[in-house]
Amino acid sequence: MKKLLLVMLFALLPLSFSASQVLAAGEGPSKDMLKGKITAVNAAERTVTFEKDGTREIVTLSLNENMQPEEMQLDRKVLVNLDKHAESGKVMKDIEIMFLDMTTDKLFALLLIGAIGGLLSGFIGSGGAFVMTPAMMSLGVPGAVAVASNMCHKFPKAMVGAYKRWKYGQADIKLGLVMAITAIIGVQIGIKIQKYILAQFGGAGSNLYISAVYMVVLIFVGGYVFSDAYKLAKGGGKETVGKLAIKMQKINLPPMMHFKTAKITISAWITIPIGLFTGMLAATIAVGGFIGVPGMIYVLGASAVVASATELIIAFVMGFWGSVQWGISGLIDIRLALLLLATSLIGVQLGAIGTTYVKDYIIKVVMATTMLIVAVSRGAKVPGYLADLELISPLDPGALALLEGLSFWALVAALGSAGLIIVVAMIKGISADRKSQKALAEGVQHG
Amino acid sequence: MTTFDKNMSAVAFAEAGEHETARRILEERPAAGHAHHPVKKKSKPYLNTAIFGAISISAYVVLFTNEKLITELFTMGGWRWAYPVGVAFFFSFIHGAFGSNLLSVLGLEAKK
Repeated sequence: MKKLLLVMLFALLPLSFSASQVLAAGEGPSKDMLKGKITAVNAAERTVTFEKDGTREIVTLSLNENMQPEEMQLDRKVLVNLDKHAESGKVMKDIEIMFLDMTTDKLFALLLIGAIGGLLSGFIGSGGAFVMTPAMMSLGVPGAVAVASNMCHKFPKAMVGAYKRWKYGQADIKLGLVMAITAIIGVQIGIKIQKYILAQFGGAGSNLYISAVYMVVLIFVGGYVFSDAYKLAKGGGKETVGKLAIKMQKINLPPMMHFKTAKITISAWITIPIGLFTGMLAATIAVGGFIGVPGMIYVLGASAVVASATELIIAFVMGFWGSVQWGISGLIDIRLALLLLATSLIGVQLGAIGTTYVKDYIIKVVMATTMLIVAVSRGAKVPGYLADLELISPLDPGALALLEGLSFWALVAALGSAGLIIVVAMIKGISADRKSQKALAEGVQHG
Repeated sequence: MTTFDKNMSAVAFAEAGEHETARRILEERPAAGHAHHPVKKKSKPYLNTAIFGAISISAYVVLFTNEKLITELFTMGGWRWAYPVGVAFFFSFIHGAFGSNLLSVLGLEAKK
């Protein structure tokens, strides 16, 4: 396993170095985003002197009409979005402090989020990302820094989880690596689509697109997984390979690949679209596993245990590659990543242990429940985006606040219910196992 | 033979009145009358938990007492991507090992 990890890392290094030619130090992830410090403010001319990070190039930027000179903070690292429509190209659209001041309540919030996100990841192979990034943003972290820091937390967590589940005989390394390669390509496609929509329709359009993707995927896939889990629970819990997967496995299109742990022999061409869509979804809503895990179960024919374990390998590869990209841009707040890791590294192992005590369909129940409740959370944001795009009339402030509250609390409910189902299932499984061990030992002793 | 198979065989023998055989299957001891060597119970990794926990806590303290310098350095971009990624790897090994040992100390292990 250690050899394999080293091989993976050395294979990824050339990819990351070639990417470094695209993004030089000091630039943000796009040409309209600058990273650096404000060193002086000219209130009369409504301009600031900005020192770019890395290159230390000095530029003069203008404040937009909504900004006030006295709001500008000197000598703190900031992210500046430039107004693309301004003629000079040097007008600030918005400005965000890159690194939030760490307070005790933010620290505890990050530890709690990390614990639950880790538990979910260890159990269903994905999850946490859709809550960690928005959670960090709600603490005041700029979006780009939140995504970057989450990525840097994701790959170590996925590595530890994947290792544990490989030790339990659940993770198919070959399948994980094969899908990870196409997932990385899928991420690039997803990013291109996102950038196009952002350029054409602006921030509100981009948010609407993301929410629409969330809802379609979560409702359709989550609903299917839920109904499957329900049938399994009613039918005694014995998982069988689905009809679609059986048909896919019969397609004899070389190269055929055998995946030992997943117990599948299938054409490599079938794995490609699943990997691609996993990557595209990861680039869009940050959770590729909502396609990857059901794809491995229903299209390839892997069991829920193997699919959720193998997803962690894909998450590790994508997370590592993504972290290098964000690290090159200098956007990772290592404090956030490590505070999340403090509890998620324990949570992911606990979740992994939990999978050995529960029936296969419980994994599907947790996944489906999480997906369906998060769909409600995202759906509640859609009217606001439609109003921003003027596709519907502006919303009443009271209604908007209600929808924001519904979105937030649905997200909390998604995490809470998933955590509760996992913990209850684990307690039941561990108690039953200990009772049977004790009864067995007593039965033998009394002989 | 898996643990499940072993347990079921032991149950079958016990139900048939072959208690000594059942005991032997479970504990891998010789039959009565011969010297027996009881199976050694796996001890909990208290020392490893303490060691990895101490290293992990120390690393967190070092990071947060120097947070301004570290965030400045780790966000310079370019080849310095290696700093946050390398530190994340370091913490994942050390803190991951601490977590694994802690769960074992708490009696939370995978079903065998």
